[in-house]
Amino acid sequence: MKAFEEIQQLWNNRQDEPKVDFDELMKCAKGSRKALAAKFMWQCVAVGVAVLLLVAIVAWVDFVTWTAYAGILIIVACLVYYLVNQWKDFRSMERSEKLFAAPQQYITYLKAFQQRRNRFNTYNYAVYEVCVALALALYAVEFFYRLPTLVFAAFVCFVVVWFLICHFVFMKRYIRHENARIEAMIADLQRIARQFEE
Amino acid sequence: MDKQQLLFRQVFEENSRRVYHLCYGYTGDADSANDLMQETFIKVWQNLDKFRQQSQMSTWIYRIAVNTCLSHLRKAKRRATDELNDHIVENYTEEPSEKQEQIALLYKSIAQLEENERIIITMVLDEVPYAEIAEINGISEGNLRVRIHRIKHKLTEIYNRNESI
Repeated sequence: MKAFEEIQQLWNNRQDEPKVDFDELMKCAKGSRKALAAKFMWQCVAVGVAVLLLVAIVAWVDFVTWTAYAGILIIVACLVYYLVNQWKDFRSMERSEKLFAAPQQYITYLKAFQQRRNRFNTYNYAVYEVCVALALALYAVEFFYRLPTLVFAAFVCFVVVWFLICHFVFMKRYIRHENARIEAMIADLQRIARQFEE
Repeated sequence: MDKQQLLFRQVFEENSRRVYHLCYGYTGDADSANDLMQETFIKVWQNLDKFRQQSQMSTWIYRIAVNTCLSHLRKAKRRATDELNDHIVENYTEEPSEKQEQIALLYKSIAQLEENERIIITMVLDEVPYAEIAEINGISEGNLRVRIHRIKHKLTEIYNRNESI
């Protein structure tokens, strides 16, 4: 049987030291910032290329209907919206002032952040899906005038089937998985938040 | 080395061991403790210019460490105590001396406390002043004293129970 004082003694006598030294840490600190910057740079480049490609299509292809232009505009807006939100959330998580808050407030912030991400990945994805469907429908008006009927019908069938698969298989699976993960995290955060209450 | 880097080196040397102990107490595993300590100091480095001197530098760093530990569950599923204990035992498999076994048992016992209890007791064992622990955890000193009394009792009980197995 040990008393707390003996446990304290045991703690004072142990010799476990951190394995991270200052130079390694500095390398990581600078590296992680560079890696983060590089990640967003490449995301911006990818979206930028996609937008340029769409602009080039608008410039080089002479569309006969205004609906094609409207469809492309909607796709560009979706891409930019996604990028801006990713950027905002990442910045909010990485450089948050909330880091200096008391644990209780920090946990409240984390919960709100998780819920916002959940909404972004589920509800906003549904809105995104509707926007893309609308954009393709508008674009299809152009195809209707340009493509042979059979090719046009095949295109429409392909798009409809792809959307149904995305909506009823991929999206449902993703939402189920994401919700389970978020619920587990929120349950954990709530349990920990209760521990820090006065 | 510029002025900020020199300041950061000093901050790191003065606080790294305690932050490591806090992270070790929270996770019960040396590798995760090293990762969390590294993450904490990266955040300290990135936010050094935001330190307003309203509290001590060590209090500010501890808060970042506590919050980093708490958000750890975003990245890794909280391990079941048994799994954690196996890992702790694994760390001491090379001809463990009696003292090493006792230390492993101590970490195993800390891992069986609740998250906030692990954080508080680690700071108590590291002899951080009560006023500072209260400030870090955002609770009053009176409340903290009551909690510490309870946690000490609980840890002693768990340790003795584990020792008798």
